[in-house]
Amino acid sequence: MSAQTSTKKRTRTAHIGAGTWWQGRSGLLVPLIMAGFSTYLLIGIITMDVAEDTDPPGPQFFPMIIMIVGYVLTILLTIAYIRNPEPVDVDDDLPAEVEEQKAFSTPVTSAVSASRLDPHEEDEPLQDRQALAEARVADSRHRTHSDFVSLAWGAGGFAAFALILEFAGWILAAALLFWCVARSMGSKRPLFDLIMALTFSSLVYIAFAVLLGLNLPSGILGGGF
Amino acid sequence: MDALMSLLEGFTHALTPMNLLWVLVGCFLGTAVGVLPGLGSSMAVALLLPMTFALDPTGAFIMFAGVYFGGLFGDSTMAILMNTPGQASAIASTFEGHKMARNGRAPQALATAAIGAFIGGFVSCCLVVFVAPALADFSTNFGPAEFFALALFAFVATSSVVADSVLKGLMALVLGIGFSVIGIDSVSGTERFTMGVPELFDGVSLVTVTVAILALGEVFFIASRIRRKVNDNTINSSGRPFLSRREFGEALPAWLRGTAIGLPFGVIPVGGADVPTFMSYGLERKLDSKRKDPQFGDKGAIRGLAGPESAGSATTGIAMGALLALGLPISATAAIMLAAFRQYGLQPGPLLFDRSPELVWGLLASFFIAMIVLLIINLPFAPLWAKLLKIPDPYLYGGIAVFCGLGIYATSASQFELMILLGIGIISFVLKRYGVPLAPLMIGMVLGPLAESSLRDALLASGNDVSVLVSSPITIVLYVILIGALLYTGIGRVVARRRARNAVAPASRDSESVSS
Repeated sequence: MSAQTSTKKRTRTAHIGAGTWWQGRSGLLVPLIMAGFSTYLLIGIITMDVAEDTDPPGPQFFPMIIMIVGYVLTILLTIAYIRNPEPVDVDDDLPAEVEEQKAFSTPVTSAVSASRLDPHEEDEPLQDRQALAEARVADSRHRTHSDFVSLAWGAGGFAAFALILEFAGWILAAALLFWCVARSMGSKRPLFDLIMALTFSSLVYIAFAVLLGLNLPSGILGGGF
Repeated sequence: MDALMSLLEGFTHALTPMNLLWVLVGCFLGTAVGVLPGLGSSMAVALLLPMTFALDPTGAFIMFAGVYFGGLFGDSTMAILMNTPGQASAIASTFEGHKMARNGRAPQALATAAIGAFIGGFVSCCLVVFVAPALADFSTNFGPAEFFALALFAFVATSSVVADSVLKGLMALVLGIGFSVIGIDSVSGTERFTMGVPELFDGVSLVTVTVAILALGEVFFIASRIRRKVNDNTINSSGRPFLSRREFGEALPAWLRGTAIGLPFGVIPVGGADVPTFMSYGLERKLDSKRKDPQFGDKGAIRGLAGPESAGSATTGIAMGALLALGLPISATAAIMLAAFRQYGLQPGPLLFDRSPELVWGLLASFFIAMIVLLIINLPFAPLWAKLLKIPDPYLYGGIAVFCGLGIYATSASQFELMILLGIGIISFVLKRYGVPLAPLMIGMVLGPLAESSLRDALLASGNDVSVLVSSPITIVLYVILIGALLYTGIGRVVARRRARNAVAPASRDSESVSS
């Protein structure tokens, strides 16, 4: 078992950007979000239309503090991610997430940290550790940490749902959402899923719009009703 | 005596057939959502929030009480049978609980958890009945400076003391507070950060953020992880959930110790029940190692399960009291409840006891009813709940995604709100992926407006004199405790790092286990 594992590990498919400086530093996305939001606040503060007679501290005062803290955090997070890249390909027994937690672990009350990490590793039953190892081997054939195809099905399905809801009506739009999410979760039976989806969205419509009186659009199926 | 009379009157409000039905429905739904993998009690409340708008306030909150506690019961069922805690407060239960289940003692483990949750919850509810009115009276002394100190305390505690990484915790917090300043400023009426979009004048709704973070973000996160799924390790439990007298005697002190640990954390804003559950687990483990026949290890110790369960439940109960009396949400779940109160135009806090006593006491009475109902539906039927896991993942999460859309569209009737939901859902997926804790974001979002308005009120009243913030005894005490907690964790961090460095030097795995 262990021999098999190690041979598979050697045939690992390289991650996108493996070997470059960016390896393990995709976490820079986090400070990027922070920077983007702080900038949104900055633009808002500059363009804000404040009445002349407002007593200080005015409406810009509090957001200003948030913005400044936001920029400081952006810088600190960037430094942290550049100094501690995420371990991408870990060959030892620990799952990557535990490793990551350790790299970032800072002031935790010792009781919390000790019991959160240690018992999991040392006491974890053998089967679980084997399952984790197998999952990691399967994972090593992919090029990214997250499955972006799945993610796109889920998020895209929701965007489509939001866009067509008022036109197509609840039953069709919700069925589409259900179908897309089911597909993103790895379902391999599109036709059966479609029947499930339509049944489910119709049941929800009957329960919430007809019985409880929530306002759900009937859309094109509603027609003359 | 006064409190008892009010409580009895509360029971008369809560015991109407309609309200009993709502408790029952709430308990069932809460347990059902709590049992589902990856979904915890706070998500149960967030998803079901929009659906209660058809009810009157008392009925809605009574149902919430059921959902809230039901979610907790469901979380631990899952933690024990499947080793997948629904939320952080159930993690400590997986350690010993799952091992007990592995060794063929699943029914006993489930019974221990259910009774533990019942004891912790019951004791804390009793305490709330007597303490909450006094707390409410006390909090009438609170002015803007005190409320600002409380909010700041909650901010720092959730993001720094409890979180694994201070930087990540603070980032989530700042995002949360940042979301809360969008919309028309309540003090001056100025339009802020709306880009002229009318839908944003009322700000980003807390319900939208909650559903996006706890439900939709979770669906995306699981979708991005489908190929790393660890094998199913569900344990089927059968047989009667029966504790022998010896087991009961063993668990009882642990239940009581856990309750005692959990109670004070209900009013300390450190983000919910995970800290006390871990502390209780650590205590039981330490006590166990001093016994002649240590139980902790392969077989699973009943005390290591009983302690954390009752601690978590005790914290939850008291947190509810703190929410009612102070208007201060301790955890994400309490924050959603606060949002629900606001939807009905009610402001929890000292005045609530005077203005709507029938609602407050009806709610407190329904806590007791919910506890008993939950004990009845969980003690004998816990294994049946695990059957819910037979729903295939694609349909389960498809259904959850549809419910996210349903809840938000039902409350806002706008496609714009759905797009915000999607946007925040994607952001929260990214944050989850990189291990940023999301509880500080919720706390920031909820307490942001309180912090801002009380800070500005305090400064306005004193003519921009900053010293007003530390001028009363209550604020000084709060800041001293806060600084003490920061110093304590800071020192703990340095010590832990030094120990870690020393442990790495010998590079032997044996030395690591000494620390536990």
